[in-house]
Amino acid sequence: MPSEFQFTFEGKPVAAREGQSVAAALIAAGERCLRVDEAGNAKGVVCGIGFCWECRCSIDGVPDIRACMTPARPGMIVRRQRGLDGCSDR
Amino acid sequence: MQRSIVIIGAGPAGMAAAIEAVRRGCRVTVIDEGPRPGGQIYRQPHPALHGEDFAEPSELARKHRLIDGFQAVIDRIDYRAEANVYAVFPNGEIHLAQGDRTEVLRPDAMIIATGVREQAIPFPGWTIPGVMFAGGAQSILKAQRVLPGRNVVVAGCGPLPRVVAAQILRAGGSVAALASLRSLRAMLRYPRSLWCGRDILREGLRYEWTVLRARVPQFTGYVPVRAIGGERLEAVALARIDAEGRIVSGSEREIACDLLAINYGFVANSELAAMTGAEMRRDPVIGGWVAVTDAFGRTSVPGVFVAGDSAGLRGALVAECDGTIVGAAAAVPSTAVDGAALKTNLAATMARRTRHLEFQQAVRATLRLPDGIWRIVTDDTLVCRCENVRFGEIREALESGHRSLNAIKRNVRSGMGWCGGRTCLHAIASLAEAATGQAPAEMMTPRPMARPVPFAAIARQKRAAAE
Repeated sequence: MPSEFQFTFEGKPVAAREGQSVAAALIAAGERCLRVDEAGNAKGVVCGIGFCWECRCSIDGVPDIRACMTPARPGMIVRRQRGLDGCSDR
Repeated sequence: MQRSIVIIGAGPAGMAAAIEAVRRGCRVTVIDEGPRPGGQIYRQPHPALHGEDFAEPSELARKHRLIDGFQAVIDRIDYRAEANVYAVFPNGEIHLAQGDRTEVLRPDAMIIATGVREQAIPFPGWTIPGVMFAGGAQSILKAQRVLPGRNVVVAGCGPLPRVVAAQILRAGGSVAALASLRSLRAMLRYPRSLWCGRDILREGLRYEWTVLRARVPQFTGYVPVRAIGGERLEAVALARIDAEGRIVSGSEREIACDLLAINYGFVANSELAAMTGAEMRRDPVIGGWVAVTDAFGRTSVPGVFVAGDSAGLRGALVAECDGTIVGAAAAVPSTAVDGAALKTNLAATMARRTRHLEFQQAVRATLRLPDGIWRIVTDDTLVCRCENVRFGEIREALESGHRSLNAIKRNVRSGMGWCGGRTCLHAIASLAEAATGQAPAEMMTPRPMARPVPFAAIARQKRAAAE
């Protein structure tokens, strides 16, 4: 794995370093809203260690993946999960 | 035959327990959620992620000494990284998920060393992206080498928010305000504690110096009462609260920020201990419901031990001593635990633990919340973030006579979402206590799954052959 690479978030390129989580790379890129919940509330990273599940997003088409617990990989496609939409492709 | 021990958690308590149990010739399995040992306090960045540490050198030395000790015996441990225990049973069965499969273990003894999580007091707007737990923000800084915010407000009580403020400053961020519910002067009433904890205190003073030198505006007696923003945090309103927890009128002030980092102490990760059927007790200052344990970490269930913060907040130094003591106790037959030999053997570690525990008296004084603090939770404040339950709904459930966390859950769904109540249940217990004068008698019954696990992984279950 290259030590510096990119993945995309909502179609936009995001820079990451090897060993960083998706959440950390997104925060470094200035992104705060990682999900819009069923009630329409914007949600971001809260606990940073995996227990709150608030930062879950869609990664490479799989919904409900915690951004804070997932290492970033080159070319990864990360999308903001909206309500239950992320579940429609399961 | 070799005794088998499963240790859940690889923080200070779990690592120390593993080192001791290996030394005593046991067959040891360590199950940990993280990719690398260390737990939260000794969390290690990925080896490729070089960068500066903003912690005190003496703190880093403690961390590396323990991790090195663990690494020295890791070849003799069945070490499961990135694995989750999603259920334990009174018969001693441990169910874990790792990758796309699950497994059932049945050791002679289990040591639960699952640590603590952070506690929040909900307030209007706290779901806006950019409001984080202070320790969570710290983990982004120390394990990911990313500044969690550029212009930060840190708030809460106890030592952690102050450490996080200092570390953000050292990393080049700016701290727009540091709001503390209580002054750390509360610690001065415990001179003996401070003497016992003088090494830690010295580290704390260095962090205080970082904050002072940066001339961070400090607000003592203030708490965040409103977060402002839409898709991202723009500002936070701080207000002073009186002894009864009422907002002092005219004290409110809005401060622009892109991150609000909060911590109101800690909640014990005691769900697994409760699942074994161990007797529990509640003490909000040390983490809510915790297992009742003796000096050797024994619970009311034979073969089930708890070590470290998950038995009640005690800090990394006590947790490490705990690990050694509990690891030794789990390594011998139960009849030998009460014998004089083990006590003599552990005397030095026990004395060290007593000394470190003494310092916790002073720490706990800073974590005690005023009874009225829960008034900042208004009727329209979202309390259960997963299920979008507002305090008004919980209050109505309480008023209609639903007093247990189980009954409240059945009526309004609080605690039923993805996090399993880990973010809100302790707050709901305290809110119920504030509203009715009596805390719920029991924690919400913890059931499998303690963590979400895909059905496919359950279908691929491996069971150890009966021993």
